[in-house]
Amino acid sequence: MELDKLQQQWNSFPEVSMEERPVLSSDLEEMVVTNPLSDAFYLQRKLVFRIIVFTLLWLTGGWLLRAQWLGDRKDIYLYVAFFLLLSYTLFFHIRLILFADYSTLLGLPLVPFLGKVEIILDKYIASFKLVSAVIAFTLLVCFEQWMTRANPALFDSFLHRDWSKWLLLAFLIISFDILLMHTVIPRYRKLVETVRKYRHGIVTAKARSEIWTIK
Amino acid sequence: MNNFAKSFADTDLRSLLKQQHKTVYSICRLFARTYKDHQRLFMNVISAAAQNIRFRKGDVNKQTMLWRACINMAALHSITSTMEQAPTREIKFKSPDYQHSMEVLDDAMGNAGDYDKFLLFIDLENIDSNDLFGSVNRPTAQPASAAHVIPYLKEKLIWS
Repeated sequence: MELDKLQQQWNSFPEVSMEERPVLSSDLEEMVVTNPLSDAFYLQRKLVFRIIVFTLLWLTGGWLLRAQWLGDRKDIYLYVAFFLLLSYTLFFHIRLILFADYSTLLGLPLVPFLGKVEIILDKYIASFKLVSAVIAFTLLVCFEQWMTRANPALFDSFLHRDWSKWLLLAFLIISFDILLMHTVIPRYRKLVETVRKYRHGIVTAKARSEIWTIK
Repeated sequence: MNNFAKSFADTDLRSLLKQQHKTVYSICRLFARTYKDHQRLFMNVISAAAQNIRFRKGDVNKQTMLWRACINMAALHSITSTMEQAPTREIKFKSPDYQHSMEVLDDAMGNAGDYDKFLLFIDLENIDSNDLFGSVNRPTAQPASAAHVIPYLKEKLIWS
């Protein structure tokens, strides 16, 4: 590449014509307050929504656990497990949102920026495992609550066959996991792969360029 | 911050962005191939620069934050374009002059990779490249004031 020629051309590059000018100074007011990240990279809204939902479930789970503890404690293990799962899920999402710190993310240098985007997407993909477990537990708890009111005798026999409850739970978790793995997750997986490949390309090119500079 | 001070800070930010808009146009030249791409990238870089400057930490100056916004948003633009897999990647601008200059630039660049384009941008715009790319290691938590408050909790909360 002839750098001198390119520099000359660069300096004489025409202005974008008025009809094509992407922005007028009045538009700047709007631009400085918009979010620069596209939906694929900006997960804050999704994470906040999940945190709100999980908090509500956590409160409900806590209340149900308390009722079990004060009552006959027949089904205490399920409610303890549900409460612990919700606590960890909530912790995981809060940790992810704190780590992402979207307001300062774009201010990082390129390689750490791409690395951080990669970690955020990786953790977001991992969070779907927790989501499928929470959905499965919620369905089972709702089913039990409905059965307690609709048919107490049937509920008693369901409780006596303890293995069937845990088997149903495992089946639900695996089903939701497979469902999410084939519907929502692939596009995030593709994105994280592209980011990883891109970061690797930049790192390799940077290392090569540094070697040339030393030589 | 009171209202007066806040509005002064914003005015300062806007005037900086107005002064530096040509640098933003320059990065768009290297990464955008159509008017729509150009417009989208320009807007994203401006809003990223505004955000970086507003939330900057430590002693990094505003100019570096603007350059980082240019490079990071161009990288995201490139990643998104790769994923979209547009069948035709031809250059399309309404203005004949601009179209011609873009075609000449494209020919001159050949098959240069994105890192080479970044180096070209830095070279042609006479930019100080320190602190724009970072080290090749995985990112570490930024040294913030909170690091001194609850070190144990921060260590547990932040992935390294």
